[in-house]
Amino acid sequence: MGLKRVFVANRGEIGLRIVRAAHALDIEAVIGVSEADRDGLGACEADRAVVLGPGPAAKSYLDAKLVVQAALATGCDGLHPGYGFLSERAELARLCAQYGIAFVGPEADVIDGLGDKLRAREMARKAGVPLVPGTDEIASASDAVKAAEQVGYPVLLKASAGGGGRGMVIARNPAEVEAGFAKASAEALAAFGDGTLFMERFVPEARHVEVQLLGDGKGGVLHFGERDCSVQRRYQKLVEEAPCAAMPDHLRKQLHKAACDLAASVNYRNAGTAEFLFDVAREEFYFIEVNARIQVEHPVSEMISGADLVQEQLRIAGGAAPSVKQDEIDLSGHAIECRINAEDWTRDFMPVPGTVTRWKVPTGEGVRLDSHIFEGATIPPYYDNMVGKLIVHGQDRAEAVSRLQSAIDDFAVEGVPTTLPLHAKIVGHPDFIANRIHTRWLEQTVLAE
Amino acid sequence: MAKDNFTDLEQLLAEFEASDLTELHVRHGELEIFLSKDENAVGLGGGAVQVATAKAPVKTGKTASPPASAPTAAAPAADIPEGAVVVRAPYLGTFYRAPKPGAPHYVEIGQPVSDETEMCLVEVMKLFTAVRAGCSGTVAAILAEDGAMVAADQPLFAVMPG
Repeated sequence: MGLKRVFVANRGEIGLRIVRAAHALDIEAVIGVSEADRDGLGACEADRAVVLGPGPAAKSYLDAKLVVQAALATGCDGLHPGYGFLSERAELARLCAQYGIAFVGPEADVIDGLGDKLRAREMARKAGVPLVPGTDEIASASDAVKAAEQVGYPVLLKASAGGGGRGMVIARNPAEVEAGFAKASAEALAAFGDGTLFMERFVPEARHVEVQLLGDGKGGVLHFGERDCSVQRRYQKLVEEAPCAAMPDHLRKQLHKAACDLAASVNYRNAGTAEFLFDVAREEFYFIEVNARIQVEHPVSEMISGADLVQEQLRIAGGAAPSVKQDEIDLSGHAIECRINAEDWTRDFMPVPGTVTRWKVPTGEGVRLDSHIFEGATIPPYYDNMVGKLIVHGQDRAEAVSRLQSAIDDFAVEGVPTTLPLHAKIVGHPDFIANRIHTRWLEQTVLAE
Repeated sequence: MAKDNFTDLEQLLAEFEASDLTELHVRHGELEIFLSKDENAVGLGGGAVQVATAKAPVKTGKTASPPASAPTAAAPAADIPEGAVVVRAPYLGTFYRAPKPGAPHYVEIGQPVSDETEMCLVEVMKLFTAVRAGCSGTVAAILAEDGAMVAADQPLFAVMPG
């Protein structure tokens, strides 16, 4: 029992994070890298690195057959997909199952079901999880106008196969619904090959909350509390925290139960996150979707729970039970994470690849940095531009904010522009300090200033 | 062309720039390189060169993905016909001629285009930018290979106004 050698099918900070988690459990780590990443920290620290292919992800990290072949050829008994890339492709989970490799994630059919937003909504409905008032599939623009009257304005048109904000349009009146239907459908078709849309009530000034889950695959589900990821730009999270300090305790309990019920209803296996919209004014939460993988922002949940979620993932994939029980998970203090991206936020967040010439990282009590960057590291132009995650923990939100401000000040990066100056602005903003934020706050307030 | 060859090419460029030579023509197997310090030089294709970059225009017989750290502004300058407007890459990134793999190309040679016609996508770190013609005319030349890494300001298309 237990994995002996895991294949790391990812790169960057999460690739490195998985290598280290495997080593902590005495599991060997083989990492599959592209030619652009062969000198990276992940490749250095792994027991073995295999080059999957050239830099462009389609020829390396995104080729499921190639990845499984590499895992088989190197004698791996497990495969961790990280986040992004192939992590939510049922095909990868299916190939792993076919070749007797333990996939560190849910079963292929569960990934398929949760990956389709309409099917995921149906699963949530069956599990008694609250949904934002909305519709099933909408056939035409005129049906959309009728549906909007029922749902109540403003409404959100969304792609059934969607994600990342593509194929998503807000409409405030019938004319906008008609125009938006055509636009969202075309966008969805172009981005996902499927133009199917559905509609939801749009909640202005909502918060994005999500529950970290760990399932044993037999109906047992643990939660590690919720996260508040309301600081977003174009539906991309920039700052995440745990817990959601704006949520009353009675609602928090309901939220955790709803997330666990949903995961249990599909015998969810391994780590996952149930995402919700939190309507602060109404004190209601609505299911959005499940991310069937470890998420970028998992460290804030680790900081308040003391758990190592990636190690738990490897344990579960090896057939063991999680190392903790629900009543042993003690959530304490407050944690905040900043995603540091190599981009020039003053030039419309233009990503900038290049070489990091200075990398002076903050240290101190409650400060954690998850990063694969070092002085002299090259940031290739092919992949996501996140260079690290700065995470702090404090006894309460105020202490965490204060530690984060100091940590950002102490962080010096040269060679490429980063979002650190923007983070300094965000965490120093009176609204952020007072926790008066919502999912459009960053765009409407900080970036509009 | 392998990564190492590219390093060789960079070295050749550096040595050429430092030398007193005004023109250099190298042929090695399928690879053909024409270097010139004269903006009006006649390149391998025979047409006048209209590249307004400071660097010497370079003509290579094959295109390749240069290593991430050393993109080159090399352009097959000779393929740019006289009087053509050059559509350039907005930044360093991957050049895509179609909206997604397998889809038809945005434009082909000989196709009429207008100001707003989308010519290609350039992608860097998951940010995709549609590059528009910015003028009316006919596509006269396609100057980069689909899927290749292109440098900022590298010529991508030549459009003959009209």
